[in-house]
Amino acid sequence: MPKRKDIKRILMIGSGPIVIGQACEFDYSGSQACKALREEGYYTILVNSNPATIMTDPGMADVTYIEPLNVEMVTKIIAKERPDAILPTLGGQTGLNLAFFLMKEGILKKYGVESIGASVEAISCAEDRLLFKKAMQEIGIDVPKSGIATSVEEGLRIGSNIGFPLILRPAYCLGGSGGATAYNKEELGKFLDKGLDTSPVHQVLVEQSVLGWKEIEFEVMRDCADNVIMITSMENVDPMGVHTGDSIVVAPAQTLTAEEYTNFVNLSKKIIRRIGVSGGGANIQFGQNPNNGQIVIIEVNPRLSRSSALASKATGFPIARVATKLAVGLSLPEVMNQITAKTTSFFEPTVDYCVFKICRFTFEKFPKCERLINTSMKAVGEAMSIGRNFKEALQKGIRSIETGRFGFGADGKDKITDEELLRPGNELMKLIKDKIRIPNDERLFYIRYALKAGLSCEDIYHLSRIDRWFIDNMKELVETEEEIKKFRNKHSEDELKIPVELLLEAKKDGFSDRQLSHLLNSKEEAVRKFRKKNNTKNVYKLVDTCAGEFTAKQPYFYSTYETQEEGRPSKNKKVVILGGGPNRIGQGIEFDYCCCHAAYALREEGIDSIMINCNPETVSTDYDTSDRLYFEPLTLEDILNVIELEKPMGAIVQFGGQTPLNLSVALRNAGVHILGTSAENIDIAEDRKRFKQMLEKLKLLQPESGTAFTFQEAKQVAAKIGYPVLVRPSYVLGGRAMEIVYDESTLEKFIHEAASVSGEHPILIDKFLEDAIEADVDVIGDGDTFVIGGIMEHIEEAGIHSGDSAMVLPPYSLSSDILNKIREATYKMAKELNLLGLMNVQYAVKDDKVYILEVNPRASRTVPFVSKVIGVPLAKLATKVMLGKKLKSLGFTQEIIPKHVAIKESVFPFARFPGVDIILGPEMRSTGEVMGIDTDFARAYIKSQIAAGQNLPKKGNVFISVRDRDKRAVIMIAKKLQDLGFSIYSTSGTAVSLEKSGVSVKILPKIAEGRPNLLDLMKDGKIQLVINTPSGRIPRQDEVKIRSHVVLYNVPYTTTISGAQATVSGIEALIKKDLEVQSLQQYHKKAKGKR
Amino acid sequence: MKAILLLEDGKSFTAEAMGACGERIGQVIFNTAVVGYQEMLTDPANAGKILVLTYPLIGNYGCAPKFNESKKIWPAALVIKEKTRISSNWQARQSFDDYVKENKLFVAYELDTRTLMVHLRQKGELLGIVSTEDFETKRLLSKIEAFRKNQKESFLPQVSVKNPVILRKGRSKKRNIAVLDLGITKSITHQLEAMGFNLEIFPYNTQPKDILRHRPIALVLSGGPEEQAGLDKVADNIRALIGRLPILGISCGHQVLAKALGGTVSKLKIGHRGVNYPIADPASYKGEITTQNHAYTVDAESLEKIRDIKITAHNLNDRSVEEIESKKLKVIGAQYYPCSPGLGETNNIFKRFAKMLK
Repeated sequence: MPKRKDIKRILMIGSGPIVIGQACEFDYSGSQACKALREEGYYTILVNSNPATIMTDPGMADVTYIEPLNVEMVTKIIAKERPDAILPTLGGQTGLNLAFFLMKEGILKKYGVESIGASVEAISCAEDRLLFKKAMQEIGIDVPKSGIATSVEEGLRIGSNIGFPLILRPAYCLGGSGGATAYNKEELGKFLDKGLDTSPVHQVLVEQSVLGWKEIEFEVMRDCADNVIMITSMENVDPMGVHTGDSIVVAPAQTLTAEEYTNFVNLSKKIIRRIGVSGGGANIQFGQNPNNGQIVIIEVNPRLSRSSALASKATGFPIARVATKLAVGLSLPEVMNQITAKTTSFFEPTVDYCVFKICRFTFEKFPKCERLINTSMKAVGEAMSIGRNFKEALQKGIRSIETGRFGFGADGKDKITDEELLRPGNELMKLIKDKIRIPNDERLFYIRYALKAGLSCEDIYHLSRIDRWFIDNMKELVETEEEIKKFRNKHSEDELKIPVELLLEAKKDGFSDRQLSHLLNSKEEAVRKFRKKNNTKNVYKLVDTCAGEFTAKQPYFYSTYETQEEGRPSKNKKVVILGGGPNRIGQGIEFDYCCCHAAYALREEGIDSIMINCNPETVSTDYDTSDRLYFEPLTLEDILNVIELEKPMGAIVQFGGQTPLNLSVALRNAGVHILGTSAENIDIAEDRKRFKQMLEKLKLLQPESGTAFTFQEAKQVAAKIGYPVLVRPSYVLGGRAMEIVYDESTLEKFIHEAASVSGEHPILIDKFLEDAIEADVDVIGDGDTFVIGGIMEHIEEAGIHSGDSAMVLPPYSLSSDILNKIREATYKMAKELNLLGLMNVQYAVKDDKVYILEVNPRASRTVPFVSKVIGVPLAKLATKVMLGKKLKSLGFTQEIIPKHVAIKESVFPFARFPGVDIILGPEMRSTGEVMGIDTDFARAYIKSQIAAGQNLPKKGNVFISVRDRDKRAVIMIAKKLQDLGFSIYSTSGTAVSLEKSGVSVKILPKIAEGRPNLLDLMKDGKIQLVINTPSGRIPRQDEVKIRSHVVLYNVPYTTTISGAQATVSGIEALIKKDLEVQSLQQYHKKAKGKR
Repeated sequence: MKAILLLEDGKSFTAEAMGACGERIGQVIFNTAVVGYQEMLTDPANAGKILVLTYPLIGNYGCAPKFNESKKIWPAALVIKEKTRISSNWQARQSFDDYVKENKLFVAYELDTRTLMVHLRQKGELLGIVSTEDFETKRLLSKIEAFRKNQKESFLPQVSVKNPVILRKGRSKKRNIAVLDLGITKSITHQLEAMGFNLEIFPYNTQPKDILRHRPIALVLSGGPEEQAGLDKVADNIRALIGRLPILGISCGHQVLAKALGGTVSKLKIGHRGVNYPIADPASYKGEITTQNHAYTVDAESLEKIRDIKITAHNLNDRSVEEIESKKLKVIGAQYYPCSPGLGETNNIFKRFAKMLK
């Protein structure tokens, strides 16, 4: 059916900042959708608050708004742009919910906007628990026994009728947030309370637990002609009870019979028809009783999802692109399959490989939180691997998540040694069994320990309910491992003795050279050499949607050990781009953005781009982003394999974050040409000692520092440079285990704890510049010309990780003198390091002195933000510069100081980690970012806060409680708030100083001492803002309780004085005048006009 | 045990063998379905073939008698990438290994099936030999040559019943359907039975008058192996029944029906073998995804001159004929496998045929 002509302008809603449960997959689907709509000639209007996305690049949509995603702001955009239709299915749960609320409030009707892709009825039917249950029963599909609770009492009643354990699911919630399993009445009450609060419509589904059942998913698409196709089935290795976003997943399903498979397909068709998706896709989750095949439906997502992104990457079928075309009325037979270029999209992909998805967790960032996984999603990222069998895919998958492991154990990093497992004591057996019984992020490795300790497949199945088939495959790996060990060298320098057949078998089962070198007591390099000598080399096979039945025109590749090479490289000039791997805190979408831009730039220069990455959520792993895509782990072995086949002119390592950068020296030593800043200069910047020497040479300041191995040494160093000091163990990434220490006793405690993290490595001690202002600078250079992309001033004071700070561009309080000092220092270092590409410098400014904290000789987290604010694609330019172009010829020779103000604010996953203190510190904990952009600081700030989910009030009550040092500073803030009409609540300590200055304060009792206290008020919605700065390293119990409840009740908060100041000026601006919207294109146009 | 697969063009693959050993020669065909190995092995349409499964992990859910499409295993050999050593499904009664051994099937595993598939795509379906005894290319090639010259043997007598069999007896004579057995599968008979029809299965060479004597209300031509000596004779027999009985031809039976109507068939470079083939009415956007297993297809042009015959569905990948119908002659032919869409449900084609009978 031809595409619709009655609609011309289409509004797309993005998914906002990266949070747990909503990551880059929606940038991937949104970008595909933008392209698909423009291909069909529609005018596209895009709104998203996340500046790090490819979709918000000015060229993707016709008009782009980086504005907060709420009803108010989107209504303004609708009023201004007057779209004919809204496509709500690409922006995750955020986009879907927003569209739903726009409908509920009559906005869509008022402006004549139609919801395409999923009708409002379809959304309601899938999302509203009651409607859903009824619909499923109508078509004869079982749902777990359940009831909808709108109050705790109701929930308890429903629960006692069904029986424990029970699963709780708040309605309209993302990634199972607020979801929980209750085993008894007390837990039920507690979780109901929380769930009702989490759900935007105050509904919680109380459901029969199908814990331990198989979890099977199907990705389904349907067009307006009622054609239905299955993209793929997926089977969760972790059975029901673990959120699918946290589960290990394989595609296709491995343990279903043909009859069961057909039955699932049939049910899926019925479900998508009943829900009424008539131009898009849906993800359907089933539970299946492994003992009798009984099936229940768990949920349906009538939109693009994390699973659909995975299904796309697993099969090569571009679900988002096709879904978008279906949304505008095309039918599946009319949309071509671009991978084969021969068949249409009315075709079910089939695979001849096994796909494995594994999640990346960051429990280490939240040490107080138990490392358990359950129905509330906690993973921050994921990796996908492909193999010709499950074992190969499993081992590649573990390598891909970059937790320092090189496969299914046997890599020298196992917590429990083989010797211990030979004769395991009762205690060890109990630990192993517990770790298998209760889902956690290390379960796989404990299954290996269990197999080694003599537990049978059957035992492990009964503990974990993980299907026996998967466990037996793991057992095969353990057996192969034992086989390999028989050929272990006495001395690591010995020649390898392993028979070539066994070596090949091991490689077919995914063993890495690193594992082999450990098992054989050799070196990784020696194993590689031995392999090559014996012609045991990998080949590349295709992801082609059709298991080889048709010639593939635009396939992508995975490595395996088979007989024939299918990855025939071209003779063109080409460059390898190393991607960033799985998302994690500290390395996320920003780096993927840069990698994509590298690919675009290479295309513009007529050079083939070769992407290596393993993150299925990203745009960089889309089939048409690069010329050739290798879906591979980012380890030395896997990268070298690609490079040896492709023989590129060089590799770009500075865009994928720290992962590829860390490999730069090893790659150079293996003979790979590193494009951009040389590996030597990268090393100068990364090596503490060499860096210090460089700064001394350039006469630049650095906070005083020293190293120590013992407390005695540390004490001396600290005394010399003076407290407070910033201490951290060396060789720990991402600000981990970093702390600010004010006195000797705290130092002693830290050293004691750090010893276990750091081992033989020294403790690093830096002078901490208290109350300094920090700034981030991104700079680009071509070896001759160096241009600053942007100087960003941190809003929070020094001591808070730059990834967690709010930043403003251009700076708002630094003097021009200071800014010039920063510029001078930046250019000096860029020149010294012979910068070729991008570099990021972090500064601290104190007493008119500019200190250099850190230099990262790579694209930083802020590159997409800066690029969007100044309207210059820095990563693209940097790529061209690395290829030999000059900034002069590219037309970028002068720092642009924007006339508008943009603020980057961070978004935190605290709600997922109950009980965790939310204060900011030197350890990065944010998962994503938003941008607020406007003509002045206050408005830009308030937009950034709203976009980050802080619903800042125009009136109401503010609670203020600050540490002694902040008491003076908070007076002005409180006064201002009072003038703006707010009532001030406080604790007795803070109240004294406020009252002295003429602020009238209502004093609240300490939490333990009386009621109603602050917690009660927050619960009743009587507190609209909390200002609370932490009192010290060991915060008072009250403080922590306050701060964790702030997250629970979603009360806007700030934990720094500078944050509070910005917030108050934002509120003032908000009261004065309503916020307005303006597109990025308009901002850029105005900036250009003025220049 | 070591094994080799050698194709007639000289390309060879190494493998391990299990089940039966020795030598097997046949046409090498593939199937791209992820599940359904037991169903494929017991599908008479695969008689004598060397069947290659492109999905690399086989045996995962074991085997059970209920999955048999017929009484025995038909292919000359099965070629796969990896066989699983345990089976895991509540329905499994037997492991894949045991099933294969019990049925004495030659299974070549640990073979690079991806490369083999790509080769077949480029060269077309070829003859091949699997062997655990002889690894000498020249000798193996001459064996293939001898086999080619000797290919007169037909599987029809083997796959078809010897004598008429009443599968389901009902009181109402008005529900009696005759099925000409060219290699019928259980999934077809089950669906017909589920619709309340009484089935009498006839040997492939039954004469028209013998069928009419039983006074069936309709005739179903089953699927089965293609390219068999004797199929033309069957088409000649059927010709006499066109217009006298409503006829439904399935897969190979569809080709026989087309020939009986005066059409011709020709061979595709590579067959359609899998569960993901899109078909649609040439005049509409609505179609369906079908299961297929054939290498021959009815020539569309040959149908043009036949009165009253319409092509009601074609393949969206290569536009080949998938379905023919004549309301006047009361015949329907379906090239694809009209599988049951789900537990206890019937394919649309049977419903359409049933309507024709009213």
